[in-house]
Amino acid sequence: MTRSPVGWDVDSPVQAEVFVVWLDGDRLRLTGPDGPQPWLLQLGPTEHPVEVVDRIVRDVVGPPILVHSTSWRRDRDAVILSFVVVIPPELVGGMASVDIERAELARSEATAAPRDIAVGAVVEHGLRHLAWLVADDPVVAAELPPDWRPLLAAYVPEPFRALG
Amino acid sequence: MDPARQFTNRCACGWEFRGSLDAVVDATIEHGRRIHNMEASRAAVVEALGAGEPTVPPEEAGEPGATEP
Repeated sequence: MTRSPVGWDVDSPVQAEVFVVWLDGDRLRLTGPDGPQPWLLQLGPTEHPVEVVDRIVRDVVGPPILVHSTSWRRDRDAVILSFVVVIPPELVGGMASVDIERAELARSEATAAPRDIAVGAVVEHGLRHLAWLVADDPVVAAELPPDWRPLLAAYVPEPFRALG
Repeated sequence: MDPARQFTNRCACGWEFRGSLDAVVDATIEHGRRIHNMEASRAAVVEALGAGEPTVPPEEAGEPGATEP
């Protein structure tokens, strides 16, 4: 789940990092138009990040079930806003997917960001955030299909936080 | 400019396109706009391609087209 170090890339000062998640039977899987690697979007100075993510996902993948920002961090000489986007299985089509493995979170110090943040830690936190939302937010609780609940119950709920 | 010259552009996401300069520029702008919400000018794409220098010698160039990751 890495990006190639080549010249053409998203380079805005604020970027969205999209993790497209879907439920495959009893497994949560990661996918996207670039496969399971983080999907980066450029964010302009006047654009609302959630609107951009929703619009691009609708155009490229199809209508999502949920779009939620789950964390932020500094990376790639930018501020990266991470989003978990839940899609129904019928939208996956030929997009490559991988099972989502559990991961250790990148913990902050009392007054400092974590030194290293792995992609797996961002996804782990995103799903913990979703686990919190499904218990706390009536909109998320209503929109998320019921078979997600037992899987999210395994994630320790956490609200939005800065990862770096 | 030699119209037979072939160019290749690769995006960090894994997308790749090979073809004439105009085709690569158009495909890159479309890929950036649709997949990454990027608005790139023709000049910016040409610069990223290496100031107009070909990246694929004509004799090695195959059929133009895009490659998904």
